[in-house]
Amino acid sequence: MAATSDSRRSNLQQLTTLEDIQKGLQNLCKEEARVNEELVVLLKQQPDMCCLNSMVPNLQMINNDAAQLAGMISFTSTLAENISSKVRQLDLAKSRVTVCMQRVEDVWDLKYCTDGVQTALQDEDYEKAAAHIHRFLSLDENVLRMSADASEGSTLDTSFKLLHEAQNKLQMIVHRQFDAAVHCGDVASVERFFKIFPLIGQHKEGLAKFSKYLCAQLSDMADKNMKTALSTCAGDKRANVIFADTLTLLFEGIARVVEIHQPLVETYYGPGRMFTMMQHLQKECDRQSRKILDHFRNQRNLEMKLQQVEQSLYQRTLSSTEKIEPKELDPLMAEVTLLNARAELYTRFVRRRIMNDLEVATQNEDAKAANKEEVDKLITTCELSRQMQELIGNYIMMEEYFMHEMVTKAVSLDLIDESALTSSMVDDAFFIVKKCVRRALSSSSIDGVCAMLNHACSILEQDFQEVLYARLRQGMPSGFDFSQAYNLVQSSLQFGKLQSSDDETQKQKTAFLTTLNNADVSCEYIQTLKKSLEDDTAKMYGHVNDQGSAKLQSCLSDLGAVSTRFTDVLEFGFSQFNSGVLKPRLRPWLDAFLSVDHNITEDDFSNYEANDPWVQTFIVNIDNFLITFKSSLTSGNYDSLIRHLSNEITTRLEKNVMKTTFNRLGGLQFDKELRSLVGYLTSVTTWTIRDRFARLTQMATILNLERVSEMLDYWGPNSGPLTWRLTPAEVRQVLSLRLVLSSCCFTVSPCALIGRRQLLLYGVGLILFLPAPSLVGDNFSSMGWG
Amino acid sequence: MEDYKYLFKVVLIGNAGVGKTCLVRRFTQGLFPPGQGATIGVDFMISTVEIDGVKVKLQIWDTAGQERFRSITQSYYRSANALILVYDISCQPSFDCLPQWINEMDMYASTKVITYLVGNKSDRVNQREIPAHIAERFAQQQDMRFLETSAKEADNVKRLFLEIAKELTQQARDNEICSQYSSASDLGATDTSPVGNFSCCKGF
Repeated sequence: MAATSDSRRSNLQQLTTLEDIQKGLQNLCKEEARVNEELVVLLKQQPDMCCLNSMVPNLQMINNDAAQLAGMISFTSTLAENISSKVRQLDLAKSRVTVCMQRVEDVWDLKYCTDGVQTALQDEDYEKAAAHIHRFLSLDENVLRMSADASEGSTLDTSFKLLHEAQNKLQMIVHRQFDAAVHCGDVASVERFFKIFPLIGQHKEGLAKFSKYLCAQLSDMADKNMKTALSTCAGDKRANVIFADTLTLLFEGIARVVEIHQPLVETYYGPGRMFTMMQHLQKECDRQSRKILDHFRNQRNLEMKLQQVEQSLYQRTLSSTEKIEPKELDPLMAEVTLLNARAELYTRFVRRRIMNDLEVATQNEDAKAANKEEVDKLITTCELSRQMQELIGNYIMMEEYFMHEMVTKAVSLDLIDESALTSSMVDDAFFIVKKCVRRALSSSSIDGVCAMLNHACSILEQDFQEVLYARLRQGMPSGFDFSQAYNLVQSSLQFGKLQSSDDETQKQKTAFLTTLNNADVSCEYIQTLKKSLEDDTAKMYGHVNDQGSAKLQSCLSDLGAVSTRFTDVLEFGFSQFNSGVLKPRLRPWLDAFLSVDHNITEDDFSNYEANDPWVQTFIVNIDNFLITFKSSLTSGNYDSLIRHLSNEITTRLEKNVMKTTFNRLGGLQFDKELRSLVGYLTSVTTWTIRDRFARLTQMATILNLERVSEMLDYWGPNSGPLTWRLTPAEVRQVLSLRLVLSSCCFTVSPCALIGRRQLLLYGVGLILFLPAPSLVGDNFSSMGWG
Repeated sequence: MEDYKYLFKVVLIGNAGVGKTCLVRRFTQGLFPPGQGATIGVDFMISTVEIDGVKVKLQIWDTAGQERFRSITQSYYRSANALILVYDISCQPSFDCLPQWINEMDMYASTKVITYLVGNKSDRVNQREIPAHIAERFAQQQDMRFLETSAKEADNVKRLFLEIAKELTQQARDNEICSQYSSASDLGATDTSPVGNFSCCKGF
């Protein structure tokens, strides 16, 4: 402290300026404040220090106590450890005693069982004997033998020997008694001994014997049913499906057996045993269904019919009398689909029953998967499934033949009804296809349905669509007056006969239009058919796995795709119609435009106002033309007709405009003409026609310009919402059609003197100096007009 | 919704037990399940491959070889874009049956279908009964492409399906170009006379 004050004092000497002094003072003041604070804190702590002093002797005492406590705790812990090890030893001893007691008890039980079995067997109380054997079987023989000492060994041995003998004896007795009970049909005894089998460790044997007994019952019942079936007279209303009924009875019988005996098996044999039992029952089911199906084949002459169908299918040269009549197959196919539907229902029942039972018995996921595979294998490879697969195969062949023959017939018997837009073949063919696919659906066989959907596609494309194609290929006879045709139809409807001269052409005409309508309606029918079949499959095949529904989905979408084939037919038909009828009719009417002068005076213009030179006649002509078709085309086809008509008008008219020269009034006149034409066409269709006339409308706009520079208001950045359909080259070309633009300061008469080429050059030159880059581009200069 | 440009149907046919299902499983799942049971009816798998940057979806129909499923399997021939006729190189009868299969193909399949003859189980070198050159000659006579595969060793399996996908894609592209041309000529037809249209068509 002194040293610092010394140094401060010496420092003091150096404080020469006022600022330094003041700074020194400030520092000293701060120092003082700090020292004061420190002092205050220290003073506060002073009483605590006094306390500490008084506590010192206490601390000593505490230290001694703590040492004592530590000693005590370590002692206690050693003690506890000692005790717990003793307890462990006791525990061990106790468990040994328990095991020992268990052994003793077992030995005791063994003795008791040995005695019990003997008396029970003597008393013929088999349940009791079986209970003793069951108890004996639950003992671990080897352990008992090991724990026995030498002297006791002999008695144990005899006990075991006796018990084994008793077991064998009981097994023999139970087998014999069971057979006897089965033989005399004593249901109560059968069930009594059935319950004994699992007690004496003979689960498999018991189930096998019992199943055999049940199978015998099923067989008797099936024989009886078969007799009734075979004696059913042909007039019976179930006669056509009698074998399906018999098969159903068999399945119902099996289902009943399962219903009744499943609880019994589950109670006395434990869960997971149904699979074994079903395997036995399925064998009988296979045997019986084979019998039924054999009878079915024989009675219905299936093989012969199949042979006939095969011949008819593959030798298309056969005359219709040699072919088998498709309608003959109708009841047969109905029965086959019913047979399969029943079998499908039955196998589903079997699968569900077995799986539910196994589900309870197994917890392991791998084991479950393995079980599922086993069950699937049983079901897919059983004789019944094999037989049904074969029948479905036969069915598909018959159904294909049926559908093919019936559609061909519908096409050959096609009838054009004057009052309808389509002919009979469309409704008939689609009715048949729908009927056939529906029947396939009713079979519950996914592969069958898919196959029939595939065949339906083939038949619609080959036997049906090809016919439409061929008819359209003949074309529409041209050079025929349609208003005349229309009147003809009208009059023929009135007088009931056609004039023979135009008879053929008229027929051809109607046939063509009807075929167009047929194609249009077919597109629609296919979509409807697909939709309704989709609904049906969703309803009937909701339970199938992903694989199955993916197959169905794919085949259904293939069916939907057939409609595009009909669209192709339509397109083809309209192209025929275009070149055969539309073009020849429209050309002269459109070319009349060329004879109208569009380089006109005010007088001409107002004269045109009163006596329209072209467009009104044109509209009347089209109107008459359209009227003849409106009533004989479907609305879709009528719209297509207008579409094609508009296309033809726009292309031809564009050309004609390019061949004409216009002055300002002429442009106005053209604009008017175009407006009335578009107005008319809009009124006759639901389509948006204006868009199709966009190019022509834009041409009219250009021809209507006051001066060339106005063009810039419409072009390039100024075009606004207007999208130009004309290329810059075309715009220039149209501009050049204007004989005079007011900015040229030419009057009409000098213009006529100047060669057209020069005029064009003038116009182009003018545009060239305009600043719009999009118009005055490279294209422009490369036009090669120079 | 689904992300692919082309969809093709490939149908596998051939005697029972020649390994059709294993070929398909090897290609679609990379598996070779031993002890494969007989196919019931028709199996259906989908695999998407990429050919020159284009996604191509192959719909593979794996048919049952057993006789009793014939009328079901036959219904798939017509819509197939490619048919793979499979035999087992270690089984003479499966090769002897090929003419029957080819007969069926002629009867039901479309004329544009691509056909492959495939000798499967080429890993069974010691049990081989049909030399490759005989099968190859046979394929040539029938105007089919030929390949030997092993589903077990994954040999040539991928190649087989990719070749098919590639060829079908090429075919589809050619068709597109062709139809573009023909639609262009249709447009032309509207402003040329029928005669001009005709000659224009003859042009290409």
